[in-house]
Amino acid sequence: MKFLIAAISCICALVFIGTDPSVFGQEPGTIQSVPLLDNSGPQVPLGTEAPPVTNHPPGWLSPRNANYEIDARLDHDAKTIRGRETIRWRNISGQPTAELQFHLYWNAWRDADSTWLRERRVSGLDPEPRVDGWASMDVISVRVKDAAGDWQDLTAQMRFIAPDDGNGLDRTVMTVPLGREVGPEATVEAELQWNATIPRPFARTGWVGDYYFVAQWFPKLGVLEEGGWNTHQFHAATEFYSDFGVYDVRLTVPRGFVVGASGRETSRTDNGDGTATHAYHGEDIHDLAWTASPNFIELTQRFEHPRLPSVDMRLLLQKERRSQADRYFAITAATLKRYGEWFGPYPYGHLTIVDPAFESQSDGMEYPTLITGRGRWLSPPSVQTPEMTTAHEAGHQWWYGMVATNEAEHAWMDEGINTYATARVIDEVFTPNHVELRYFGGFIPWAFPDLPLSRLDNDRLAGYRLNAEADAPWTTTLRYWPGSSTAITYYKTALWLHTLERRLGWPMMQRILATYFEKWKFRHPKPTDFFDVVREVSGQGHVVFFDEAYRSSNTFDYGVQAFRSDRQGENAYRTTVVVQRLGEAVFPVDVVTTFEDRTEVNETWDGRDRRVIFAYERPAKAVSVQVDPDRVLLLDVAYSNNSRTLTPRGNEASLKWSLTWLVWLQDLMLTYGFFV
Amino acid sequence: MAFSSRILTSWRDGWRRVAAAPAVAAGVFALTLLLALPLAMVLRGALTSQLGSSLVAGRVADGVDYDWWQEFSAQATGLGTTFSPSILGFAATLDNVSGVLDGRAEPAPVAWALALYLAGWMFLSGGIVDRYARQRPTRTHGFFAACGVYGFRFLRLAIVAGLFYWWLFAFVHPWLFDTQYVNLTRGLGVERIAFLWRVAFYSAFGALLVLANLVFDYTKVRIVVEDRRSVVGALVAAVRFIRRRPRQALGLYALNSLVFVALLALWALVAPGARGAGFSMWAGLVVAQLYILARLLLKLQFMASQTALFQANLAHAAYTAAPVPVWPESAAAETIAR
Repeated sequence: MKFLIAAISCICALVFIGTDPSVFGQEPGTIQSVPLLDNSGPQVPLGTEAPPVTNHPPGWLSPRNANYEIDARLDHDAKTIRGRETIRWRNISGQPTAELQFHLYWNAWRDADSTWLRERRVSGLDPEPRVDGWASMDVISVRVKDAAGDWQDLTAQMRFIAPDDGNGLDRTVMTVPLGREVGPEATVEAELQWNATIPRPFARTGWVGDYYFVAQWFPKLGVLEEGGWNTHQFHAATEFYSDFGVYDVRLTVPRGFVVGASGRETSRTDNGDGTATHAYHGEDIHDLAWTASPNFIELTQRFEHPRLPSVDMRLLLQKERRSQADRYFAITAATLKRYGEWFGPYPYGHLTIVDPAFESQSDGMEYPTLITGRGRWLSPPSVQTPEMTTAHEAGHQWWYGMVATNEAEHAWMDEGINTYATARVIDEVFTPNHVELRYFGGFIPWAFPDLPLSRLDNDRLAGYRLNAEADAPWTTTLRYWPGSSTAITYYKTALWLHTLERRLGWPMMQRILATYFEKWKFRHPKPTDFFDVVREVSGQGHVVFFDEAYRSSNTFDYGVQAFRSDRQGENAYRTTVVVQRLGEAVFPVDVVTTFEDRTEVNETWDGRDRRVIFAYERPAKAVSVQVDPDRVLLLDVAYSNNSRTLTPRGNEASLKWSLTWLVWLQDLMLTYGFFV
Repeated sequence: MAFSSRILTSWRDGWRRVAAAPAVAAGVFALTLLLALPLAMVLRGALTSQLGSSLVAGRVADGVDYDWWQEFSAQATGLGTTFSPSILGFAATLDNVSGVLDGRAEPAPVAWALALYLAGWMFLSGGIVDRYARQRPTRTHGFFAACGVYGFRFLRLAIVAGLFYWWLFAFVHPWLFDTQYVNLTRGLGVERIAFLWRVAFYSAFGALLVLANLVFDYTKVRIVVEDRRSVVGALVAAVRFIRRRPRQALGLYALNSLVFVALLALWALVAPGARGAGFSMWAGLVVAQLYILARLLLKLQFMASQTALFQANLAHAAYTAAPVPVWPESAAAETIAR
């Protein structure tokens, strides 16, 4: 068919349709107030049972042992940052140390020999950057105050180390020997100066055009634990880990740039030389990221709730997505409300939401009190962009921001728990939402009203299924196979938590998570701490389940192997059900057999043997059998084989769908018919 | 004014010629259906096997179960990999047009079916153009005799066209979309501008495709109407024809394309989504087949109207150089026939 001119016209027509507010339900141009208080959800008690563990001075939420004062200047033309930082670090571990260890994350993109790029290459992910895409972070001076209070220049002593893989060419971790021991509760003051080349976007950091998203951008201390410094190299599948503190940051950028950063802006000074300095102050946070662009639209709304602290929401929005402002605010407010009610209050009082520039690859990232959403120019109202990502990143303020787990070692503890909770938020506040596919280079969205997304879809069962055996979750995250780490970190965790919810009920699950949050907020819990809370609150250890779901890579798959119901005489039928465990993992399941007289027999099987046989002599013929009919076990990788009926409709279904596919193929043939 | 009148006359004449030969439309519809059906049956087997006698099958028969869909996709290979939500309603058309413009490779079984389909069209094109050029029934034997007579010439033309299209997709497309487009947009922070670039590149690439297509279309017309033996000669003659009457050739093409756009718009409105089994399934299938038929008629209209335009410019509306082909022509066959 001669479709090409027509196709171009079609694209344009679709664009027109896409921007028509009557189609997508967004009124462009004005930002209207959105209801921040959605009180439709269940009212559950706030907070928790466990008392918080704090030895902090009044007003401190965290130990504040890693405090930064940073002065940084952005050179817009050269795409570089020149910075100086003063760090006041207190040793809150129980052991002395004679060194400081720093992350220099941007050196992961300094050359092809970094561990980050080696791992990406091996796993077939991103190609190497182009010539103008490399980045760097060069520390040019390190000074430390000695015991007498005099500055000591330790620049010559600093060196790179590779504690994870011994890669001598990796420069993402730097150690600075102090020449003396710093004992528990002792404080060290260090001053570093560095020059950095900002990457073309990498790992959601970098610049595109005049948009900057700047994260992991300063030499950042590792975490001193009881076993020594925990300062992992930057790996392809890992994120970050650091101590809480107070950040005072002065960012000098070209005048006219709108700046957003973790913390609150405290001052803005026009330097009279074409630049402006923006000062930000953040307390009880463990990282600071910032963004700058002259093209942001800056909008604010306040989240208010009768039992939760108010939160000033600041949205830095791309101009082309002005019509999506209400969507960003509404989903952020809904997340603040739900997480606040479920787990505990958000105490910071402010949250900056960044709508990232196209091609910036900075979408979907969390930093303390600052998140990036994910927007597309064309986004029908019933699809999950920007809602899903925004809810997820806002939720990270709890699971990562406050409960500050080690993302390099146990990423499931923030990503997985948060994926589980996000799916619950979306299920409560953003339904129906539909499957969306994109065509023509990914620009043209198409929503499928026939395909509503369920909470299970948002737990990402489909993604888990494809990589179910890739890694055992208890493996240290940095050892995960990078290409499939998401499936284990995010999806499997969300699914086993949701499974646990279906076993224990939401009220219990909410209590578990609220207790865990309250007990471990502003601290660094380990996996055992989470499992201890589960046991403590639910009264059960769930050892077998955690052995299967967390400590192994086994898959769950139960199915019906055989099912028959034979007439044995007048009003007598012998029904035989054979249920099989096809996967290696074990979970107790219900087996429900339904009979023609509408009676049901429910058996509970511990699921341990390879198979079990149930036989019934009953006056009615059996109709169907279902294993796990309530779908408690959401990790079951093949649910289609969980049931059997004696009145099958497989032929009917396959005919319907093969005829639908037939039309698609005919259409494809005609499309290719253009060429003859 | 004269050229627009000739365009309209040829366009109307084209429809008249298509309408006068319903068997041709029926034939190509049958070709489209019969080539697609076996693959659909293969897919059906895979679906039946996966669904078995599960209760899920009932839900899938009555509507959609997206979880099942993803479960099926996770284990699908070959044809099954194309069983995605894109098969639903108008998304199928978007998916296919987008797939071609974005240079998407199809899985092997689908690619083979497409190759067979294009080969079928190549073989039938001689008969179709001949039938539309003569404007009188040639009957089955005359139609297929013309297919045979022009088949080898069209095969040579297909090789030339195939090489050209291959060059476009193997070299020009990656150069445009993987190099130039990427270079232009990698520093863009505004999606709308990137989209405009994308449209510009689609337009440029589409223009190349349309021009090539136009030349190959008139080459076929000239081969048949003028009984040209030399494909190269016919190609040169086709270029000459278009160069001398660009507004007529392009205007007619654009007019037919507008009809195509209108057809797609209508299809977007009525395309059935996921239906239940039973009556609604069959009703949806009928609607979809009417759309397929309409697209086939439009493809035939392109051929018929271009033939009409060429003949109108010769001042002999039904002129064909060759006599009606007679088949079989061999003495042995005639002996057998007696």
